[in-house]
Amino acid sequence: MKGFSKNILLLFLTVHVSSETILLKGGLVHLGNGEPATPKDILISDNRIASVGKNLIIDGNTRVIEVNGLPVTPGLISPMSNLGIVEINSLDVTRDDESNILSAGFSIFNAFNPNSTGIPWNRSNGVTSAISTPSTSFFPIFGLGSYFVLDGSLKVKGSKDIAMFGRLGSSNESRAETLAILESLLEIGRLLENSTVDEILNMTLAEKLELQSADIIALGKVVNGGMPFVLETNRAVDILQALSIKQKYSLNLVLASVEEAPMVLDELKESNTPVIIDPMDNIPNSFDELGSSLNLGKILDEAGISIMFSTQRSHNYHLMRQGSGNAVAHGMSYETAIQGMTDTVAKTFQLNDRGSIESGKFADIIVWDGDPLEPSSFPKIVMIEGELQDLTSRSSKLTERYTNSEDKPSSYKH
Amino acid sequence: MTNKFFLPSLLFILVSCSESFDIDVSFGSSDSVYQGIDNAFESTYIPMYSQPVLFRSANIYDGLGGEFLDYDLLLSDGVIKEISKSISAPGVFVIDATDKWITPGIIDIHSHMGVYSAPGVSTSSDGNEATSPVTAEVWAEHSLWTQDPQFALALKGGVTTFHVLPGSANLFGGRGATFKNISRNTIQAMKFPGAPHSLKMACGENPKRVYGNRRQSPSTRMGNMAGYRSAWIDAVEYADRMNETNEDRRPKRDLALDTLMGVLNGEILVQNHCYRADEMAMMIELSKEFDYKITAFHHAVEAYKIADLLADEGICAALWADWWGFKHEAYDMVQANVAIVDQARNGTGCAIVHSDDPVGIQHLNEEAAKAMAAGNRAGFNISKAHAMRWITSNPAKAAGIIDQTGSIEIGKDADIVLWSGDPFSVYSKAEKVLIDGAMAFDINDPKIQPITDFDLGIIQPQKNRIQ
Repeated sequence: MKGFSKNILLLFLTVHVSSETILLKGGLVHLGNGEPATPKDILISDNRIASVGKNLIIDGNTRVIEVNGLPVTPGLISPMSNLGIVEINSLDVTRDDESNILSAGFSIFNAFNPNSTGIPWNRSNGVTSAISTPSTSFFPIFGLGSYFVLDGSLKVKGSKDIAMFGRLGSSNESRAETLAILESLLEIGRLLENSTVDEILNMTLAEKLELQSADIIALGKVVNGGMPFVLETNRAVDILQALSIKQKYSLNLVLASVEEAPMVLDELKESNTPVIIDPMDNIPNSFDELGSSLNLGKILDEAGISIMFSTQRSHNYHLMRQGSGNAVAHGMSYETAIQGMTDTVAKTFQLNDRGSIESGKFADIIVWDGDPLEPSSFPKIVMIEGELQDLTSRSSKLTERYTNSEDKPSSYKH
Repeated sequence: MTNKFFLPSLLFILVSCSESFDIDVSFGSSDSVYQGIDNAFESTYIPMYSQPVLFRSANIYDGLGGEFLDYDLLLSDGVIKEISKSISAPGVFVIDATDKWITPGIIDIHSHMGVYSAPGVSTSSDGNEATSPVTAEVWAEHSLWTQDPQFALALKGGVTTFHVLPGSANLFGGRGATFKNISRNTIQAMKFPGAPHSLKMACGENPKRVYGNRRQSPSTRMGNMAGYRSAWIDAVEYADRMNETNEDRRPKRDLALDTLMGVLNGEILVQNHCYRADEMAMMIELSKEFDYKITAFHHAVEAYKIADLLADEGICAALWADWWGFKHEAYDMVQANVAIVDQARNGTGCAIVHSDDPVGIQHLNEEAAKAMAAGNRAGFNISKAHAMRWITSNPAKAAGIIDQTGSIEIGKDADIVLWSGDPFSVYSKAEKVLIDGAMAFDINDPKIQPITDFDLGIIQPQKNRIQ
């Protein structure tokens, strides 16, 4: 790709410089990189992790927070969310995840609302950043996802258009046609090597597919080892089709859902393709996913495939903890689960300053009140870029109101 | 291709839940002559073969708030025979339960398994008779597909009993029924013997959206209320006329009004899908206007706002641990909802954790764990033994089957789960599930793991869907 490097579009729009230097002392630290947790201290300064280890040297201005052996992980990163772009699913007027004009080039970045109630809720539950994606309005490619830091700042922090999203599978049309359209779109991306956007716009194929300039430009960025292309697919033979397309167009492919992956494990492993799974979804919801089972995480992990986690439902992306906990209950390794919610997402989507507790990276860190894979656990400390976050959410305000009798509205009281 | 409704199943949300109920229901009281709907579609359930089983050295949550550490439990003749420190039962099959936990079988008061079977294709979409806002005449059990692969998955999650409801498109969605989670190829053979029917009612957004989009009533919440009231007026008149001593003066039998009359007579339990606090209060007022009882509100995301009222009225609330945001009426979620309902009026509230979902039903223990932890963070002091009620005895009460199941008490159905560890931990699994004392599932024995007809050879002919 002309002028396209892996880090292009990585726009850290603002970086707030924190003045406070903090030592998180005595935590059971999961670095996020797959190593087992060990007791460590973490020194945070100027938004970033300054050092990680034991007996770190600090000066008198450092604020020491005793963690007392509690589990510490990197902030969780959701690889596929609606955060900031969907407030209420059933209300179209609160949704900004669909376009009627654009397809592959549809970017949700400018729609992101840092004040969406989902953000403090997910943040207080340990999700410090997320990739938000367009919805499946166009088939098979529905647009570009962007990365967002969930600190609620109106000066939105993140990376615009870091991955393209699509889906291959059952619909009212033949999947043969879907595959043909997918290949045509990728061919158009390739044409940019020797043609201008305007030239392509005038081609019959582009007209038939109703492509806009933005779509063509985006398609140019996904072929030939460009930005990650996340394709949701389940049926074993569809996974093979996707892998063959990956090879043909040199895609930086990520497969999502992959419920029948165990049937094509060797090919998947050989292709070095990371996956995003919902470990709790063992329902054969369609004829594409008859092989769905709770063992998916274990089987993929044993094959050494990079695994990330999606959640079954919108609005609660922290529930990837429950999903990965279930995966561990069924045989996935514990550290693969932690890594899958943190470092694997950062590595797959080239979020180079995030995802692990490592000196030099942004200090996105969670201290948990118990095992982070137990659904009943909850963050005690949430830190984003070195700043301790207030854990208040609209939900916590409602809880407070209705558990404090003095504050309770008088609509029903005796 | 547009997939606006991320959670399609939620659009068909149902409600159900009831209160302690005399199981031996006979339609028509002594002064009413009408014999009503007699015994149509009665249960033909026969328990699976069982032999006496002795669990040795188990830790037990009895489902009523009790905790017994290192106790023996004897099951025989399909019922719970004895719980004590050391049981002598020579010749009886013994299962060592040291360091493991036993709970009552998990009960889901809100399921659409079998009426929204997997795969979720149009031909299996049998849960919403969305052709008229009042369809009290339909029965969910008449839609049930006995080969739904979701039943067996729920069983692996410890679910021994579930209540299947019609969807929530309608003001009156029809009758719900309760089932034992055993593999049978007739619907009646799965039906829980003696369990009362429920009536599914739905508040709020769903009915007004479904019918409003068709430019018919109801299109507003006030339209919803008018629809309920009109139907109850008809039902009251029907019940009066059916009690005429002169048979010739009775009206022609009407299936929808039969159901509503069953509610007025206290024989059918109202399970009311209703999210918002103000709407629930309105539904309570409606029940007083027509003199019927609401057994439970389902999906009651705002139940915590009127927890005292629900406790005073003796109405259960069947809740998710944390779902929200998919609809406007599901916007005010608090994770302490279950705990606040439970703790209302000095702990007399009736809280239930329900699923409405084929994945959620497999993890009701984890859902209860989240709700308990959130409640304790909000300042309550709720024990695991207490929280176990939310997925066992409280749903049994709401389904009208508390006299048969839902707790570990002498004489009750031997519906039991043996967990590999703490039942509230994500790492624990149901190792053995017994229904009426019979081994329905054993994690270590493939011969005791149900495989539906659907699962056979459907991917590769030599194999079953799940090995």
